[in-house]
Amino acid sequence: MSAAEDTTDQRSGTATYVYGIVPADVEPEPDAAGVGDPPGSVTAVRHNEVAALVSEIQVGHPLGTPEDLRAHAELLDGSARVAPVLPLRFGAVMTDVDAVTQELLSPHHDEFRSALDELEGRAQYVIKGRYDEPVILREVLSGSPDADRLREEIRDKPEETTRDARIALGEFIEQAIGAKRDADTRTVLDAIGSLAHAVNVRPASHDLDAVHVALLLDVGAREDLEKALADITNEWDGRAEIEVLGPMAAYDFVMKREPEQEG
Amino acid sequence: MTIATQGANGGGELGRPSASGLADVIDTILDKGLVLDAFVRVSIVGIELLTVDARVVVASVDTYLRYAEAVNRLEISENEPTGLPGLVGDVAEGGAKHKTKGAIEAAGEKLSDFLGEVQDRRDENAEKTSKRRER
Repeated sequence: MSAAEDTTDQRSGTATYVYGIVPADVEPEPDAAGVGDPPGSVTAVRHNEVAALVSEIQVGHPLGTPEDLRAHAELLDGSARVAPVLPLRFGAVMTDVDAVTQELLSPHHDEFRSALDELEGRAQYVIKGRYDEPVILREVLSGSPDADRLREEIRDKPEETTRDARIALGEFIEQAIGAKRDADTRTVLDAIGSLAHAVNVRPASHDLDAVHVALLLDVGAREDLEKALADITNEWDGRAEIEVLGPMAAYDFVMKREPEQEG
Repeated sequence: MTIATQGANGGGELGRPSASGLADVIDTILDKGLVLDAFVRVSIVGIELLTVDARVVVASVDTYLRYAEAVNRLEISENEPTGLPGLVGDVAEGGAKHKTKGAIEAAGEKLSDFLGEVQDRRDENAEKTSKRRER
């Protein structure tokens, strides 16, 4: 006799969240936690030699909390340590487990298998560098007559009267940092050399990014990578901080081949 | 299906705090990876996503003015005795963050503070979430 019954009915449907594609011999750990609240338990849906990592979710319950995002990433990244993984973008949901087999795994089985073969033994790493603002500012300002002139124009004047000069100075800095970023990214990629099987230079995600690149490496290559970066890390001490993320699933290196779009 | 480098078609930029693991996750999993509807036509279920658009345009007049301010702070600090570079750096960075912060970033930062402890624990045990069967 209550409105509660109606709402329950509408919200009781379930669907299947899909994380990624793995070889069929991959077994999620029993305590692997998925998206949703409470976190769904992760299982593998197998079809011949490939499998999809999935969990059940409630329809009508929005996804995308920090816990959901981390659950997606941690499951795939954790799996990428032991097996090749084709990661799906966050938010992939299908009607049920049968649909996963019949519409995703079965029609694309060979495609997935050969992509997984290509990824065998490899995983993604991301290198992020962030400039120390005062240090990089001094670096780009030093020895530039244009910047000196603008700084002179601004110095000790009320803000209202120097807006144009401040914008011009800021634009100069933005471009100069962009040029530093390009040069520093090249330095990093040169240092990595042949360690990387593939490289994706990501767009800067912050004004002060010194470098932001994704690399496809041998899965256990973290130490080699850090060794290759050691000289740069030392040289940049105080100027920019370098962070290495990974191993993670190869998000930057998987894509659907679109026959109609490719030559 | 192919393993290759995705084009640098990222476009928008995401301002975010420097030390947030969540921001790194967002950078990667909302933007990259295989898109389900490239493979499946029928059985896709639309689920409302809370994280719709995490992008903020960074390069703008505001950015330029922020740099000019930072230069101003630099000049002030240059007139002071050296030996406190760490302190000056922190102040500069804090100021910059407030100016460029987007809504999502702000939310992410708060949430990541909140989740920091949990996350630290998870990072320590950053473990294999899957294993492979013996062949």
